[in-house]
This record gives sequence, C-alpha cells and structure tokens, in this order.
Amino acid sequence: MAQEKASPRNFSKEITSRLGGETITFCYQCGTCASSCPVAKITEKFNPREVIRLALLGMRDEVLSGDAIWLCSSCYNCQERCPQKVEIADVIYALRNIAIREGHIPNIYSEFAAGLMSEGRIVPISKFLEKKRPEYGLPPLKPAGVDAIRKILSATGFDKIQFKKGETP
Amino acid sequence: MKMDKIKIGVFLSDCGNQLSQILDFDAIINYVKKVPDVALVARANEFWRGEGLKNIVEAVKGKKVNRIVVAETIPKLGEINILEAVEKAGLNPYLAEIIDLKDHCAWPHKDSPKEATEKAKAMLLAAIERAKLLESIEKLEFPATKSVLVIGGGIAGMQAAEDLAEMGFEVHLVEKEPFLGGLAARAGRFFPTDDCAICIQSPASDVKTVTHTSRKCVYRSGFTEIPNLNVLTNSKVLKVEGVPGNYKVTIEKKPRYVNEEKCVACDLCTTVCPVEVPDAYNANLKKRKAIYINTPLVYPPVYAIDANACKFADCAKCVEVCPTKAIELNQKSKRLTLNVGSIIVATGFKEYDPSVIKEYHYGEYPDVITQLELARMIDAFGPTNGTIIKPSDGKPAKRIVFIQCVGSRDRRWNPWCSSICCMISLKHATLIKSAYPDTDVTICYIDIRTTGREHEYYYERAREMGIKFVKGRPTEILHDPEANVLVVDVEDELLRRFLEIEADLVVLAPSMVPADGTKELAEILGLELDEDGFFKEYNAKLRPTETKKRGIFLCGGATFPKDAPTTSLQAHSAAMKAAKFLNMGKIVKDQRTAAVNEEYCGDCEFCPVTCPYGAITLTPKNDGHFVAKISDLLCEGCGVCVGTCPVNAIELRHFKQNQMLAQMKALLSINGTSKPLVLAISCSECGNAAVDSSGMAMMRYPANVRTMKVPCTGILQVQQILEAFKAGAQGVMVVGCKTDGCHYEVGSQIAQRKVELAKMLLKEYGIEPERLEMFNMVYIEGDRFAEAAKMMTERVEKLGPIKIT
Repeated sequence: MAQEKASPRNFSKEITSRLGGETITFCYQCGTCASSCPVAKITEKFNPREVIRLALLGMRDEVLSGDAIWLCSSCYNCQERCPQKVEIADVIYALRNIAIREGHIPNIYSEFAAGLMSEGRIVPISKFLEKKRPEYGLPPLKPAGVDAIRKILSATGFDKIQFKKGETP
Repeated sequence: MKMDKIKIGVFLSDCGNQLSQILDFDAIINYVKKVPDVALVARANEFWRGEGLKNIVEAVKGKKVNRIVVAETIPKLGEINILEAVEKAGLNPYLAEIIDLKDHCAWPHKDSPKEATEKAKAMLLAAIERAKLLESIEKLEFPATKSVLVIGGGIAGMQAAEDLAEMGFEVHLVEKEPFLGGLAARAGRFFPTDDCAICIQSPASDVKTVTHTSRKCVYRSGFTEIPNLNVLTNSKVLKVEGVPGNYKVTIEKKPRYVNEEKCVACDLCTTVCPVEVPDAYNANLKKRKAIYINTPLVYPPVYAIDANACKFADCAKCVEVCPTKAIELNQKSKRLTLNVGSIIVATGFKEYDPSVIKEYHYGEYPDVITQLELARMIDAFGPTNGTIIKPSDGKPAKRIVFIQCVGSRDRRWNPWCSSICCMISLKHATLIKSAYPDTDVTICYIDIRTTGREHEYYYERAREMGIKFVKGRPTEILHDPEANVLVVDVEDELLRRFLEIEADLVVLAPSMVPADGTKELAEILGLELDEDGFFKEYNAKLRPTETKKRGIFLCGGATFPKDAPTTSLQAHSAAMKAAKFLNMGKIVKDQRTAAVNEEYCGDCEFCPVTCPYGAITLTPKNDGHFVAKISDLLCEGCGVCVGTCPVNAIELRHFKQNQMLAQMKALLSINGTSKPLVLAISCSECGNAAVDSSGMAMMRYPANVRTMKVPCTGILQVQQILEAFKAGAQGVMVVGCKTDGCHYEVGSQIAQRKVELAKMLLKEYGIEPERLEMFNMVYIEGDRFAEAAKMMTERVEKLGPIKIT
C-alpha cells in the first residue's frame, strides 16, 4: 500500500491497511448491520451496509466527502451482530481518519478539535450551564488542564494533522 | 546369500529413430559396451511392447542378464509393462532400472545434440551403477478378514452395510440409538425427489418381492433380514485395536430392556406405562411413555425402554401385560468383541443448537423453532399429525418466517456454508404452501444456493406459489407478549427499507455441525478431523471416501453436511472401496518398505513422530533401550523416516544410500558441456512429473542439468545434499511436490527444512548457500522446471567454480 497511490481501484486495500479497517473485505452484504442500526432507522442518510458497499466498490470520493460516515453514533450494535465479524464501527472510524486527512470534515468536528486545543474541552462550557449546575447539586467545574491536554495532542501529532487539506502522512 | 556374477543388459530405445536424430547412438552404445559388468547392449525402436519387449524377456529367460537397464520413452506406461514382463520371465522387478532418454535428455537438449549425447552417457552410466547395487524385493501377504464394521445407522451407514452384506461380506452395523434411520428419518421428506425420508433401496437379496428398481419403506424393506448383516442398536464403539485387514473392535451394547426377538410391537405396554416424558425425537412437541417406539415406521420395529425415565421394578406394569414376555428389565450392558477387516464411518451430522445466538431467542420464545422441529410437524406421523402450529398455544401458524444461515457462514460460530439449508427451507416452504395455501410464508436469506440437479426448480416453484423472499439477514426476533406474536426485524436490502414482519412462527435454518461423539470416535480410530470438526477425507478430489488410514473409509455427513443423493453416492463408494480392500481375503504388497538397523537405532522419537502413516513404533529391547519397529503393512516406502533419522539407522529396501550415491557420482562424472554441473534431485511424484512434462513439451534447458529421482524429497539427509557438491555438482536443485500437496503428506516440508540446514552448513564451509535451492512444482509446471534449471545454471555460472575456503 505504501507505494501505491490512493485510488478508487485499491480503496478496499487502503482501508484494510488502516487501524480499524482490517475486516472490511469480510462483508457479504447480509444487512444485519443495517437492521441493527438505530441511526439508519431514523434517517435515510446513513446505512452502514451501504457505506461498506460503496467503499468495497471503490466509490472513494462519495464515501469520503459524504455525510454518511459522520452520522454513525458508535453504538456498536452492528459490530456485535455482524456474522462475518466485520468491525463496522471501527471501519467507519478508519474511513473518517482518511477523510480528515483529505480535508473532508464537517464543521462541527473542526469546532470540537479547535475547542479541545484551546479550552481542553470538546463541548464549551456556557455561563448558562455553570449557573444551572448548583440547581442540580453539582459542584462547579474545575478548569480542564489545557496545558497537559495540549502536550498530549502535540505528542500524538494531533495538533499537526488537523484539517490541512490534501495532506497525507 | 548366493552372489551371482552381475550381468547387466542395457536396452536402448530410439523411439522410432526419433532419438537417434539427436543423440549419437553409436557413440553411446560403444561407450556403454565398455562399462564393466555390462553383458548385453541392444537397440530397438521400442522396448515396452512387441519385439523389443520380447528381446528383453528372452535375454532374462536365457540367463544372459540378471539386471536390466532400459532407456524407454513412455515414462510410466513403459515402466509398468517392462517390469511386469521381466517378473514373469523370472527376474525380480526391483533389479530393473528404467530411465527416459527422450524427455529427460534428447528433447529438452534438442539444440545441442553433442552435449545431449554426453549427458545420455552419464545417465546410462548412473543407471548401470545403480543397477549393480539393486537388491531383490519380496512380495508380502497379510491376512484380511472379510468383515466390515459400519458405524452409524443413518441412510449412509444402512446403504453401505447393505451393499457389502449383499456382496457376501459379514457386516456389523452399529447404531447408538435404539432405532435406525438417523437424522434423515426425522426429515419427513427429501429433496429433490420429494419422497419419504424412510424410503430406501430394497435389498437385492429379497428376490421374492422386489425387482432391481424397487424402493421400499425401511419397515417393508427386510433390511435387517439380509444374510450376513448384524445390526447392533443402542451400541457404541469403545476401542479399536489391530491393523488394516485385522481390527479387533470392542462394542458396548446398552440394554434395550425389550427382547428384540420376542417383541411384536402390539403397543399394549405403552397403554399401561404411567411415565410420560417429552418426546425429543418429535421436537418435544408431544409426550411419550418410558417404553416407546419413535414412529410406527422405524427399524427395528420393536419397542425400547428409556432407562432415564422408567421406574423399573417399582412399576413393571408393562412386564405384566406383555403377551410375549418380551420385556426384560434385568438386561445389562454387554461388551462384544468383533473382528473386522475394514471400518466405514457413517456418523453423519447434526443440527446446531441456535440458542447461542441470543438475538434470535431460540429456547426462550417457544414459537422460534428449527427446521428439524418443523420437519416433525410437517410429517403426518409427527407430533401434530402434519398441522403447523404455534408451540406456545397450539393455535395454527398462519404467518411463518424462515431465517437462513443461522450460525452458518458466521465467523462467530460456524464459518462454513452448511450447503443444504436453502433447499430444506424451500422444501418446507413449498410443502406448507401446498397443504395450507392461505399461509403467509417469507424466507429471509443472504444468498439462495440451489446448486444441485433440479434444485433451482424448487426456488422457481416457491416463487410461483407466492412464497416471499426478503434479501436480508434479520438482526433480531422480538416478541409482543400481549398479542403473542413475533416480530422479525430485517432490512429488505433490495428496497432499502426496514421491515418488521409479524409472524406466528419463526423457523431458523441452523447450521449443520459434526454429530455428537465425532471427536471421541476420531481418537479411537486415529483419524484426522478438519478445522471445522468433520472427518477429513484422504483427498477431496480423488479419494473422497478414503482416509489416511488404509482400511478405514468415510461416507455421508461425517465429512460435511450433504444431501441424500450425495450421501447415497458416498455410501456406495465407501462400500466399494471396502470391498476392493478386502476382496482377496488378503493384502498383497511388495516389501518396498523401510528397515531399521537396530545396532544404531536407539531411544529417540524422531521417526515415529514424523512417519505420515503411523507405521513406526518404539519397542523396548532387553537392555532397556527402545528401538524403532516398522510395520511392513503400514509403511508406504516414502523414506521420510530415513531423512529424519539423526543416526542414519534407517534405509529403504528399494532405495538404499549406496545406490543413491553411486548413481549421483556417475551422473556427475561426465559433463560434456561448457557449463557447470547442476544436479536436480526430484521426488518420484509431482517433482519428477514436472521434469517429464518439460521434456515432453520440448521446453529447453541446458544439458549440464542432471536429474536424479528419489521416492520423496523427504528422504534427503543434509549429508546427501553435501555429497552432491562433493561429487562435482556446482549447484543443487531439490524438486518436490507442493508443500500442501506432497504425496507423502510431510515430505516436501521436511525437505525444505533440510535444504535450509544444508545452506547454513554450506556457508560454514565457505560455499555460497544460493548454490542450493528447493523448488515445489506439479506436472503442469514443466515450464517452471525449465526456467528454474536455466536460472540455476546462470546463477552458478556467475558464481564461478566452488572455492572451499
């Protein structure tokens, strides 16, 4: 894979060489994942069987630039029940990783990442929330150790890879 | 031993003047005539038949020669003909050496006739040197009992037993249950014939009531009345000792508590029996008594007592009413010893218990059942008399959903496709739809597989009848307790829509797995199981009913789930193989086996562990040491033990070390080309076939490459490989079968290890290890042999002559 250029023709190879993507070729399209999926039952935009199918057929751009892979809720129901032991949720993570490196990322995820870097949190703490906490008997939030989190993000390379279009490692 | 003076006859075929156009026959003959001990040299168009063969026979009969070397051009056919003829003429066939000057010399070296002529001289010299050292091999006979044990009384076992018994063999049919029929008997009807499962071929010995085309219900077939057939129900194989042709089998026969000779199946006993238990045979859908018969149509048609349910002496009501005094509550388990020559394993398969697949709730929701349970409902003799009901409340099931591949094609449970479940579901769906057309039947499938004859018509008919097919494997079966209805949650992939199908009954098509006790029986018989746990056949393509153990055969579902037609075929095949094996009442073979030099042998376990045929055992000697003993009956003469022995204590009677060395030295004693000599040591199976085929197809490779045939590359020791270099080879090729296709199982793999080891040693001696290489080829890869021979020659040329540092 290392020498081969990423292309629709070798997309399934590209995925199996990724952490989490190893099992994608086991899929024989039985549909157990789809009927197990709580997201697929409420929106037509996501069907795990279809994501796998498109990927195996080499429809690289459609998979990576589309919304579908971002809609998985990671409940792992599909993965539990897949008779071929396709690690479907993990395959979708692998696809997301490829997508990010190629600059395909929904805004909300960019905001999460930026928040993590600047505040040490994915969900920003609003004044409203802070006011509400005592009402429920919750203690005030301690500051997130931003410096420590940044160190981790820098050590793992997260700060470097984020959101630069077209960059591949 | 009286040593006659060696007189070698050399017979050169020039293949209808074909070879003499390439090879200089006069030069060759002049050369051969001068070799010591050569008494006669003859040349003809062919020696494997006609006048040529007559020449050989006369030379042998006239005592002009006592060893022969024949250079013939039809590799195997010629060899067989010549060896048979000389044997008849009074020469032990192991004193003959046959070589192929066409395919191994003239044709591949067509472009360089001078070099080919020199190679031909070397090949003939090698054959002569080997012939000088050849020794006679005797014929051995081992007695074989014309009696067969058949394990398993399903359709496979019954048909094999019947075939053999009618051919005159004594047959013991052992069935663990009290009744014959096995899994198939419960299936009700069979595809693709749609006839009763209990319909079998009628014994041909029943001449009074049948014709040769007759089929009959088991109960009408007179099956157990076939002469020579001994049916042992309630019985189990405990131990098997002995060797092929002579096995001693210990059987445990559990008590039936009903005398089979006396019972007339009047059914009075069940009317008085007070004990009721769930009827497992009928999917627990009804109860039966402690004394029972599975269905009215079983064999033997006599009752049996369930020892786990009966109260015996505390009740004994049946004993009182039995009009023939057939009930014997004091029966005990018996041990029987049988002497048989051969064993057929027909233990079948069983339905997988799908309760492990939690999302389908089998065992929890009573209305989720299996195909076998549905088959009992469909059977008119079954627990519901042919009506399809919801087990939870006994009401008719009007909406039925089938789910395919339950535990099959599933890496979590059983990864294989069980092959018959699609057809079982199509059969059941159409049977239900024909009997109750207003029933709504849906089949949820991943792929419908209808690969057999007439199978696709079932699928066609099912669609015509209005059976619905949903492509999609359901994620879960839900139960609505209020309405007592099941809901199948599935994606219809073709619609890309989620369906929640309401059902009164959900029928799972579970995978088929090896029968209970398969593993234990494999241990008792010393047979291998495949990775899925089924009995492993010797060769799926050529020997589908044979095992690695001579004399033990397999048929039916014991090797893999299969339908009735294939099971029948295999049963007849296994019976034929067993008959062929025992037919003569003896096993005849040549003593082309390994022999142990007890003086050197001692205490190591290499050979018994490595022998692919279990032919070697360690036996204690008087001095407390152990030596290897080789069974001439079990030994196949491959020589893997020879290659494995660390102290050189084993030799093949037909392929001795000194013969091999003499041959090797002679082959390498004449070069005649400008290139460095390369020795290709090939096995006598695929390896040599690849050499043959490269020659047959006139693929070219240089004449400095010399081939030497050994029985199996597994025979090679490191020192023999090194000897080749000592004898003048600048490069050595070892050409064996594919590692997973070795004719002696492990030979190629062992040779590979020897080659690696020899490479390390070469390096120590300062010789480039790449002068030695292992190749694995088959017959159709003659081009690969020619390529490899060229490649090795070029490689060795580049390296230059061996310099020992």
